[in-house]
Amino acid sequence: MGQNEAVHAGTEDGGGDAEEFDPIGTLTLIGIYFVILVLAWVYIYFVEFLGRDLVIVG
Amino acid sequence: MHIHAYEKLWLALSIVLILALIGTVTYGAVGPGVAMVADSQSTIDAGGIDEDERFSEPRVEQVGENEYEAYVVAYQFGFEPTPIVVPANSTVTLQVTSRDVIHGFEVAGTSANTMVVPGEVSEITVETDEPTEYGIVCNEYCGAGHHVMEGKLHVVSQSEFENRGGDSE
Ligand SMILES: [Cu+2]
Repeated sequence: MGQNEAVHAGTEDGGGDAEEFDPIGTLTLIGIYFVILVLAWVYIYFVEFLGRDLVIVG
Repeated sequence: MHIHAYEKLWLALSIVLILALIGTVTYGAVGPGVAMVADSQSTIDAGGIDEDERFSEPRVEQVGENEYEAYVVAYQFGFEPTPIVVPANSTVTLQVTSRDVIHGFEVAGTSANTMVVPGEVSEITVETDEPTEYGIVCNEYCGAGHHVMEGKLHVVSQSEFENRGGDSE
């Protein structure tokens, strides 16, 4: 389906215009946010929460 | 419909993130066995705690091999027994109730934390490690002395626990 769409875009939409919009700065920024989010979650859950004493098991 | 490559990446990463969040919590439940405080105990008469066989005499009791049960009463403004003494490297189930108003039971700096509601018995099971001393705080505002309401949880070695048991009985 993805491939089909790509071909579609290339032939009928004139593709070029759409593909020229490449907000690489925004992508990089979101990528950095994503990494921070993942690292924060790993720290909060695995280190701070599961690493504490007396985890409730029942 | 044309979807920009970055947007596809964004959608894919969002789905990965959601699955990862659900996955880690599932891992916590299956692997380390993290549980929630459940409504597992039937209600009791908050005014009749003196006649309740568990709470008339707040204490720690051995209920199985390396399994202990602690019956704890929260009141304005403290916890009984103080300290709660449990053996190291054992499984301890804390049953906590209140004889007056809603209190909190939080073993400071740990994950052991529950509300304490009059008429209800909050049950949490934890595994102790090395001998140490924890403080217990009430984290639900319960009256004028709320800020001084504290308890102690002492995790002592198996031998020390047995010695103490011998003294008091
Ligand atoms: Cu209180």
